[in-house]
Amino acid sequence: MVRTKSDKLQGALDLLILKALEEGPMHGWGITLHIERVSDEVLRVEEGSLYPALHRMEQDRWISAEWGRSENNRRARFYRLTSLGRKQLAAEREQWRKVTGAIALVLEFGKAAV
Amino acid sequence: MAWIRRMRSLFRKEDLESDLEEELRFHLSMRERRNVEQGMSNVEARRSARLRFGNPIVWRERMREIDLMLFPQTIVQDLRFGGRVLLRNAGFTAMAAFALAVGIGLNTAAFTAYEAFFERKLDAHDPRTMVNLALIEHTGATASILSYPDYETYRDHVRSFSGVIAASLPQYLTISVPGGVVQQHNEGGGSLIGKLLLPQIGNSETAMTMVVSDNYFSVLGIAASLGRTFGPGDKAELAASPSVLISENYWQKRFKGDSAILGKVVRLNGAAFTIIGVAPHNFVGTFVAAPDFWLPMSLEPLVHPGNNWIWARENGCCHLFARLAPGAGMREAQAEMSLVADHLRSLHPPGSDLAQPVSAIVWPGSPFPVPIEQMRELRICILFVMAAVGMVLVVACANVASLQLARAASRQNELSMRLSLGASRPRLIRQLLTESALLGLIAGVLAFLCSWVFLQAAVVLIANAFPDQYGTFIFHVTPDLKIFSFVFLISVFAGVLFGLAPALESSRSAVASALKANAATAPLRSRRLRNFLIATQVAVSAVLVIAGSTLIHSAIRALWMETGYDDAHVIDLSLQFPESAEYTPDHKDALIRDLRTRVAALPGVMDVTTARAPDDGEFRSAAVSLNSEAPSSQNMKAYLYYTWIQPNYFQALGIPLLLGHGFTAQGDQAEPSIVVSESTANKLWPGQNPVGRTLRLGTDGLFHSTGEPLPDGPVWRVIGVARDTRGVLLDGSDSAQIYLPLSDRYLQNYPILVRTRSNPAQLISALGEVMASVDPNLAGRFSTLKEMLRGTEPFLASTLAAAIATTTGVLGLLLAAIGIYGTVSYIVVLRTREVGIRVALGAKKRDILTLILSESTRPVLAGLSAGVVLACGVAYSLRHVLYGIHTIDGISFGGVSLLFVAVALLAALIPSQRALRVEPTAALRYE
Repeated sequence: MVRTKSDKLQGALDLLILKALEEGPMHGWGITLHIERVSDEVLRVEEGSLYPALHRMEQDRWISAEWGRSENNRRARFYRLTSLGRKQLAAEREQWRKVTGAIALVLEFGKAAV
Repeated sequence: MAWIRRMRSLFRKEDLESDLEEELRFHLSMRERRNVEQGMSNVEARRSARLRFGNPIVWRERMREIDLMLFPQTIVQDLRFGGRVLLRNAGFTAMAAFALAVGIGLNTAAFTAYEAFFERKLDAHDPRTMVNLALIEHTGATASILSYPDYETYRDHVRSFSGVIAASLPQYLTISVPGGVVQQHNEGGGSLIGKLLLPQIGNSETAMTMVVSDNYFSVLGIAASLGRTFGPGDKAELAASPSVLISENYWQKRFKGDSAILGKVVRLNGAAFTIIGVAPHNFVGTFVAAPDFWLPMSLEPLVHPGNNWIWARENGCCHLFARLAPGAGMREAQAEMSLVADHLRSLHPPGSDLAQPVSAIVWPGSPFPVPIEQMRELRICILFVMAAVGMVLVVACANVASLQLARAASRQNELSMRLSLGASRPRLIRQLLTESALLGLIAGVLAFLCSWVFLQAAVVLIANAFPDQYGTFIFHVTPDLKIFSFVFLISVFAGVLFGLAPALESSRSAVASALKANAATAPLRSRRLRNFLIATQVAVSAVLVIAGSTLIHSAIRALWMETGYDDAHVIDLSLQFPESAEYTPDHKDALIRDLRTRVAALPGVMDVTTARAPDDGEFRSAAVSLNSEAPSSQNMKAYLYYTWIQPNYFQALGIPLLLGHGFTAQGDQAEPSIVVSESTANKLWPGQNPVGRTLRLGTDGLFHSTGEPLPDGPVWRVIGVARDTRGVLLDGSDSAQIYLPLSDRYLQNYPILVRTRSNPAQLISALGEVMASVDPNLAGRFSTLKEMLRGTEPFLASTLAAAIATTTGVLGLLLAAIGIYGTVSYIVVLRTREVGIRVALGAKKRDILTLILSESTRPVLAGLSAGVVLACGVAYSLRHVLYGIHTIDGISFGGVSLLFVAVALLAALIPSQRALRVEPTAALRYE
């Protein structure tokens, strides 16, 4: 099955979310802001993908969630990494490094030939 | 575990929903606030936030997806939706369910019937340890009827058997009950065969009796339901007070359940017996029908007085059955029995038939005297029937598959819409599969009903054809669950598979072309698959229908072909003399003459003669030599059939003499004379005048019973040629007959043939009365020659074949017609848009019509040609059953081909016309 663009991003999305949560517990909005800010507005998180991803990761026990109070004293759901999640983060980072490294090699190769 | 949480969250659905709502609302409002901070107006902020947010419905679905992969909840939802879809396309659902139900039901019924009939066990306690015994002779033939002394030897000396029993073939004994005669009711009289064996009218009834060994009931492990059975130790007691066992069925039928049945005395063949017990209801023992009485073998001589044949080692008496000793296997039993058999044959004079090497064969107990493996023709027939039934299933599956495919194309739009509304592909596929499975389930229920109906119909048919005189045929069939589940699973699997392929196909292309209406251009792969399915359906059902109609055609011809004699006006009266000492040959002779005279005096009787009927199935043949020497393997010209007749035979049967003349009325020719039939003359003296020529006959080694007149010896001179009569053999070889003059001495051995002026049925009761007036103890069987003809084996075989052929053929045709029509017309409807385009571009109606018709009939024609070729092969292998028609029956082949082409054309024509009538612009706009 051909992986569409959205599939690739989904794989990266997990990674981004997990990393974001490494800093500490956040709610969904916080995660969105964090990613946008840190990447200098380059990466915009599709809200449509965010919450399903969060839900899935919660089912898989990479993150746990509980209700709390946001900065402006509104009720919001905060997510935090579990130990399983931390392991997953490390694994995904490694995977990402491998993939990007391989892509870089392929790109370099083309240039060398010229 | 992840899935446990999912299940839990499933049940806390409401909580989840509201939680989610709140979370999303929070996020949305934060985004809104941010927008405002960044400078948008309130209204704009909200709108932008909402836009950015996307469609919450979509991903709420997605989230539910994640939770719900295994789910009971969506299964229910899927089922409900599937049910609604099926209901909306009621036509499709009905056709597909019907097709599957018929295919599955028929197959289940056929296999169940086969198992019930051929894998039938003996009616005994713990039937699995019961076995049948027989011998295989050096010629390879199976001898299942062994002698009584041999039986005793096996019983006493084979350790592997814990008990050996013997059962004779059913015998018809005259029964009389002191204290009045009850007219025997004949329920089987309505059937064809029942008429054939209409019981005698007069004061004698017959009872079907099985003569069995003393240990019969104890080895079988069956106890009487009333009174007691006779057992191995009762020999002396039985001799002193002869007893029989009565079957419960006969007790109810004949004695109306008389409570004083035990101890009642009946006379069988004149000898008195006391009824000591009642066998259980429907008990058949080692047979397939419940006899009226069971008689112990030691008392057998009482019913055949003066006849001690049963004790002779050379005389075949009964079938043998045995129960394996605990721990003994069939193979060792067989080996042990072979040893004993070896020893037994040394007791016969060397060089005789019975001293030839034999080996024993032991196989699982069954009412059939010969193991199925030995009955080659039967197995081939069974194979054919199973193949035919299987083909109906193939057509049914192909039918459903093509219907599914056709429908899948039309669901493109629906699927695309649902995808855009947020359904995920796995969800779609699962839902389509559920729908197919639901269809399969409906079909399964219908199929079960179908198979039950088929089986009941078969049982009723068989029971009706089985005349009452043979006892009560016991045959229980209910659809076997094992077989049913097997066939059901296969079909549901096939149905789901065929539902899956289009499901995958359409969901894939639906994803790719989310909102485009691509229905008009189906992917090439599915088009080829569709054509293949149509071709398959046509091919298989063509074979079925062609073979079927060939068989039916042959049966029709068999029924209505000219016989060459007046079969409609001649009655065959076969006599059965009571077995008592007073019936000496002289006495019998006098009775016969008296009877003939009286019958000839009846009004409406034109002729009375004595001879075998042309179609009574009993043949005699002899070797023919033309050189005045006794026939031997060197000088023999042919084997021909012969029959003994009286001088008025030809007149009585309406057979004209073509050359010469018949026997003189006095029957005293100067020299031995014969009449031959046309075919005989052509065979022996082709192109010449046979009158005056001579021949000699020899019956060495050919079948005849003791006491029969034999034509060996004299040099016979031909004095006349008679027209051919059609015999019972399919290839007409028994048309070549030699007619020999019957000496009066043998009148008592042959039936009386009576030629009547008008309808013979009216005469039968008069004949019965005449018989009773001559001797009330005479029993006779009447039938018209026409009925006898219909009762002969080739007839019955071709009729049965035709019945099966009709069923499978009609069903196959129906399914194929539905399938072809449904699919072809569907495809044409799909091309409506294309038609519109072509018309708009200037194509003429006729050209379009030709195009569509030719393209849609192409798979049908391909399938048809394949089917015709296959049908030729099938017809060739059936050639022995075909009666009087060519192997490649023009009517069947031509007719069926035309039929299929017509259906296909019609299926293409009607929707094409409709498509052409649509406005081109409307067609183009059609989505």
